Amino acid sequence: MNEKVGVYVCHCGTNIAGVVDVESVAQWSAETLKNRDVVVGRDYEFMCSSLGQELIQNDIKELGLTRVVVAACSPHLHEQTFRTACDRAGLNPYLCELVSIREQVSWVHTDKSAATEKAKAVISGGVERVLMHEALEPLQVPIHPATMVVGGGIAGIQAALEIADAGRQVYLVEREPSIGGHMAQFDKTFPTLDCSACILTPKMVSAGTHPNITLLTWSEVENVDGYVGNFTVSVRQKARYVNIDACTGCGICWEKCPKKVIDDVYEAGFGQRKAIYTPFPQAVPKYPVIDVENCIYFINGKCKACQIFCPTEPNSIDFEQEDQLIDIEVGNIILATGFDLFDSTRIPQYGYGKLANVFSSLEFERMCNASGPTNGDIVMRDRKTTPKSVGIIHCVGSRDKNYNEYCSTICCMQSLKFAHLVIERTGAEVYNFYIDMRTAFKDYEEFYQRVLEEGGHFIRGKVAEVTDAARTPEEEGKLIIQAEDTLIGRQRRIPVDMVVLSAGLEPRHDAKEVAKQFGIACSANSWFIEKHPKLDPVSTMTEGIFIAGCVQGPKDIPASVAQGAATAARVLARIQQGEISLEPVRASVIEEKCSGCRICNDLCPFTAIIFHEDRMVTEINPALCQGCGTCVAACPAGAITGTGFSDEQIYAQIDGLLMLNLEQPLEAVAG
Amino acid sequence: MKKYAYFPGCSLEKMAQSYHMSAMETTRKLDIELQELDDWNCCGATAYFHVDEILAYTLTARNLAMAEKAGLDLVAPCSACYKNSYFTNKNLKQDPDLADHINYALEEDNLSFSGSIAVHHLMEVYVHDVGLEEIKAKVSHPLKGLRVAPYYGCQIMRPRKDHEDIESPQFFEDLLSAVGAEPIDYPGRLRCCGGSLILTSRDAALNMVYILLQSAVDRGATVIATACPLCQVNLECYQQQVNQEYGTNFSVPVLYFTQLVGLAFGVPPKRLGIGRELVSTEEVLSYIEEGEPYE
Amino acid sequence: MATKPTFRQEISNLLFAAHGEPLKTCIQCGTCSGTCPAVEFMDHTPRQLIAMINADLKDEVLASNTFWYCASCFHCTARCPRDIDIAELMYAVKRYSIWHKTYPEDLIGPVFSGAFVKTIIRSGRSYEPVLATSYIFSFGPREFLKEATTATSMMVKGRIPVIPPRIKRLDNFKRVIGRIVPVGGPK
Repeated sequence: MNEKVGVYVCHCGTNIAGVVDVESVAQWSAETLKNRDVVVGRDYEFMCSSLGQELIQNDIKELGLTRVVVAACSPHLHEQTFRTACDRAGLNPYLCELVSIREQVSWVHTDKSAATEKAKAVISGGVERVLMHEALEPLQVPIHPATMVVGGGIAGIQAALEIADAGRQVYLVEREPSIGGHMAQFDKTFPTLDCSACILTPKMVSAGTHPNITLLTWSEVENVDGYVGNFTVSVRQKARYVNIDACTGCGICWEKCPKKVIDDVYEAGFGQRKAIYTPFPQAVPKYPVIDVENCIYFINGKCKACQIFCPTEPNSIDFEQEDQLIDIEVGNIILATGFDLFDSTRIPQYGYGKLANVFSSLEFERMCNASGPTNGDIVMRDRKTTPKSVGIIHCVGSRDKNYNEYCSTICCMQSLKFAHLVIERTGAEVYNFYIDMRTAFKDYEEFYQRVLEEGGHFIRGKVAEVTDAARTPEEEGKLIIQAEDTLIGRQRRIPVDMVVLSAGLEPRHDAKEVAKQFGIACSANSWFIEKHPKLDPVSTMTEGIFIAGCVQGPKDIPASVAQGAATAARVLARIQQGEISLEPVRASVIEEKCSGCRICNDLCPFTAIIFHEDRMVTEINPALCQGCGTCVAACPAGAITGTGFSDEQIYAQIDGLLMLNLEQPLEAVAG
Repeated sequence: MKKYAYFPGCSLEKMAQSYHMSAMETTRKLDIELQELDDWNCCGATAYFHVDEILAYTLTARNLAMAEKAGLDLVAPCSACYKNSYFTNKNLKQDPDLADHINYALEEDNLSFSGSIAVHHLMEVYVHDVGLEEIKAKVSHPLKGLRVAPYYGCQIMRPRKDHEDIESPQFFEDLLSAVGAEPIDYPGRLRCCGGSLILTSRDAALNMVYILLQSAVDRGATVIATACPLCQVNLECYQQQVNQEYGTNFSVPVLYFTQLVGLAFGVPPKRLGIGRELVSTEEVLSYIEEGEPYE
Repeated sequence: MATKPTFRQEISNLLFAAHGEPLKTCIQCGTCSGTCPAVEFMDHTPRQLIAMINADLKDEVLASNTFWYCASCFHCTARCPRDIDIAELMYAVKRYSIWHKTYPEDLIGPVFSGAFVKTIIRSGRSYEPVLATSYIFSFGPREFLKEATTATSMMVKGRIPVIPPRIKRLDNFKRVIGRIVPVGGPK
């Protein structure tokens, strides 16, 4: 062998040193492992500190170390630290191995002498393994300068604008006919009470007219191929049946269309649209779409009123139009597909869908909105009567093991906003039913104070049921909200005219499929998973795919905007560098050994395996491979090996752990 | 011929004898055999659980073990017996240590619990095992749109959290529609009748019964249908006391769902135990449409 | 060295067979009390009782009438957003109360339960006429009369059992009970 191995044992304060006798372990390494090429064994209080790193660096320079083993915490935390330290001292970073004697020894054992012996074994294993390491170079992959943003809500729009403003090409893909997302449905936004459309539409217009942004609305991603820097995305642009080169957005077609449809998306079921429609007046782009399931022409060949009345030359209506499948090459993808509202019919005791005057939050937003179905008037289901009392229920479907355990973060503020709007526009008595008031961010608590001053009633108690079964004359004809007023310890029945349910936020119903399509992970409740919840909320474990906005978890508009901007910054940094370094710890197929059995093909969680039909061999895409090792283990011919985790390296480590290296020379054991 | 181990429960001997009679008459017509569990003991109701939980489980485990011996699923017409049997079955299956402890005791009666059978409420037999189509086919005297308030009560559904419709079940309404009645939608259908509180905390129970009766009457119920003897007794036998306490004048007949099904099948009212009520059922009987006379 | 269990731990130990979520996860939302059909008659709401148990206020909990007014309708359990089995908890507190004999004197519940249990141990079945004696004598004259009227009407319609029922294998049954509670059942 004739390598020169340095062993460094960290105290980690008392985390390791409190259980393991670190000094004797360091000494033992230098003495007992001398004939295993260990030339120095040191211990230090905090190896990860600058001074600790310098110890290693000095030894590399002065003793000419060719391998380094650091026995400290988990590689998850400091592998990068020590590798970089070695790199700076001129040693290839992949010749440094970090073994854990904290999470795997001192933190899980109480018997000090046994723990010390175990630490020795772990280090012994690390030494044997590192002797088998090779110097590796990271993989350099070029970055395509274009970016795709999937989801045209406020987070997606923000990301797109920032990338476009930096002079880079962006494709903004949106499922609905217009960008805008849920924010376009709201009336006012908390806590400033800005009109939602007023602050959103300027960004929408910018996005729609920006020379660097290609808007692909009424479109969905069908397939994603490739890897970071080199994605090929197939997008299906659904047929609008409208020729956008001729259409002026004048609106005569939807005026004349005889078919009314309940608008389940934009109007949240509260209002109607026509079979040919734009979702709202400020739609970007302005071109309508035809809903083929409800269009009379597509059902039975009759009508064609839109075409008949269309004033443009040539006619903008084109019933023969077909879907377009476009392949787009991009370097990075940002997913900002937003949320769905919790379906309140799942809580029958609240009466949504059964009792007429129970409304969901989105229905109520549409009611308050000046361009909504009631022109901004807060009225009961009969569209005429102004309510004299309104109950607003917090935590519908949230913080509840029967539905969603998490808190949806925005509903308390939204409920306060509703309370304010009701008081301002109708002077009605407003009752908010809450468990806790979650008003944590800037100006939120002050907004709560404001609503209290405006006279809103607040009852602390999760609502048990909403019923129309009157027990007293005062309750006749009303909706009765029954809850315990926990602050006075009494069950109360509050009769109101109207009830608004602050329903929770849920992931999109197809979140799991979308995540799979892009090769990223979802949590158990289907929010997309970030790389690190504290320190890296916008990256994913898949290089090149970023997430922003509510797709990552419920959040308010400022947070969504911030995340959109953060992903833009990340992407721009990548594009600007032109290339990205990928970890060289990857699996690769030894072609001569591959029999083409394809057992590994479906096992890869990162879809990194390609099968070559012509040569009947499997190949692993090094850019997608994350080095998980599943295929390596599965291959019956042993044809797959991992750089950085080869069979030889692992067997050597096992021998070292079992201390077989000390009794006899290693070669005799490996056989 | 589908066979079940029938666990009538203490109330069905006398207090709710009409439930037993009508259950027998109607299941016979549907080719179901309810084989009474030999030497069954009391399920413990709620009172036993006030004293000793494990002993209470043992009581029910004895019945379950006997049903297992007969190799038949257990059917209970009383919601309280059903709930105790269902959850004893479930908890003992999930907790082998507890089952072991109780089996040690059951040895004294040469019995052993192994969790090999399932537990059903009598209504489940009609609605799920027989099915509404077959029930409709056997109706000879449809109930002519009789306005029935289906009273589920508590323990036929709760605290089962595995059943997705515990806040909005429909099976009782469906059963009533299948026999020609018109089930009414009233908000009290899942509320409690007070159960044994009628004896131990009468004021609360009378209040609950009052709210229930008012709820049904407000929506125009002609008769209330129940699936539990405790509910039937509370709602019917104590109507007089409710009237005295609250100044109301309720006079709502309360029948078991099996009696209504029996009437629709053309069984003579006497054989269904009709006539033992404290509140007259004359009006209900006038709703039976003339059909083939009962053989 | 063993530590004295808190009242909450004692109660949780009594929830042995019925597995429920721990009381400490209660967020005091009030759904249980908002749902409870008998809450008007309780001196503390179910939610308050849980808070008192968590605060180790043993004497006040045991002096409360809350759990004696529980009808075991399980609606609270069905709706609890933390999956706590509140109705089962009421049973546990009742058991504790009967076991330690801490219930107020004028309460019918414990007396009734005691009589119920005795009847079952004696015969394997319940028997209303004997059970009636456990509560009827604590009624005031007006209520006594009302109950007598109701009972008479039911008797006339043949709904009150006359002969007390017994199971056949009563000896075995008593031995079964003896193996659970060695002295042959609670006194």
